[in-house]
Amino acid sequence: MAHPSQLGFQDAASPVMEELLHFHDHTLMIVFLISTLVLYIIVAMVSTKLTNKYVLDSQEIEIVWTVLPAVILILIALPSLRILYLMDEINDPHLTIKAMGHQWYWSYEYTDYEDLGFDSYMIPTQDLSPGQFRLLETDHRMVVPMESPIRVLVSAEDVLHSWAVPALGIKMDAVPGRLNQTAFITSRPGVYYGQCSEICGANHSFMPIVVEAVPLEHFENWSSLMLEES
Amino acid sequence: MLSSRAAVRGLQLFTWRSLSTSTCVQEAHGKEVATSSIDCSQPQYNDRLDTPLPDIPYVTEFNTEQSKLKEKEKGPWTQLTKEEKLALYRLSYRQTFAEMKKGSSEWKTVVGGLFFFLGFTGLVIWWQRVFVFGKPPHTLSEEWVAMQTQRMIDMRVNPISGFSSEWDYNTKQWKK
Repeated sequence: MAHPSQLGFQDAASPVMEELLHFHDHTLMIVFLISTLVLYIIVAMVSTKLTNKYVLDSQEIEIVWTVLPAVILILIALPSLRILYLMDEINDPHLTIKAMGHQWYWSYEYTDYEDLGFDSYMIPTQDLSPGQFRLLETDHRMVVPMESPIRVLVSAEDVLHSWAVPALGIKMDAVPGRLNQTAFITSRPGVYYGQCSEICGANHSFMPIVVEAVPLEHFENWSSLMLEES
Repeated sequence: MLSSRAAVRGLQLFTWRSLSTSTCVQEAHGKEVATSSIDCSQPQYNDRLDTPLPDIPYVTEFNTEQSKLKEKEKGPWTQLTKEEKLALYRLSYRQTFAEMKKGSSEWKTVVGGLFFFLGFTGLVIWWQRVFVFGKPPHTLSEEWVAMQTQRMIDMRVNPISGFSSEWDYNTKQWKK
């Protein structure tokens, strides 16, 4: 989760998110360079008492300020496309989970081996335990084994939702009647929070997502417990 | 729709000429509006820093007094008084360089207006805080924030270069 007034990204919990962080650094640096140059030119133009009255066409600079932006765009596009294709690599998931969006909660189905399914409602503010995070905690978390490739199939039962976990670099729209696939590997154990990212009605802001990455034994214990409960 | 058509017709027939500000109506009332149209095929006078010598003098038609002064200008300039020299300058030029560069006090109006509206916005925001907003959630109290912060540290939130990376887990305090 983000700490209060955080401006930057959360630390990456998956390799894809690490790539996205580095790409963002690269692109933001280019943006800062261009903005600094433009700001300098504006200040220089505004603060001079001289007037150039004889500006006519100038082929050299026209070529420069056409070719240079094209080159910069290519320098941004190549890493971007690299990550795009990286995200679509063939992987071999150890586990497939279905995340279904409802108004206004998520439900998770682990149906690879047994028939495990449960709903995940936000904990209302007045019911929080001391120290819990307002508008982020849920009664049941989506527990996954850490460092294992996981496939998530995202869909919705009523209106559009979107399943997003920023620390994993994931956002996938939940469209009724459609299965959208995304995949991730958690590089480290931990609890990762996200919020519904497609307007879906009155409680759109109150249906968060919590992914808990734990060692395999813990995951197996948890899934046995959950099966007994239901 | 009928009434709007009638309104337009009435406007056209009865009130348009009294309300209109178009140039033909103004000229019909004798107001001088031709000053905005200049004949660009003729040399123009200008007061500009980057063209210091205009194509024509400011005053081209002289009255008797001015004609006498212009005649005197044809003789030795040492015989001109200071006032005559200034008068001759003003015949050729409308403004001096100093007058051109002077600028206006418009910025004071702009800045004053800016501060006024900023202040007004502040008043609106204060009014909202008093009369519109409810109580903040209990999770923003100091005790809860302390418990929450401890929980974030325990959960290793953003341990690599973010939040928990600033906490020294050995000495149990924030890193210096």
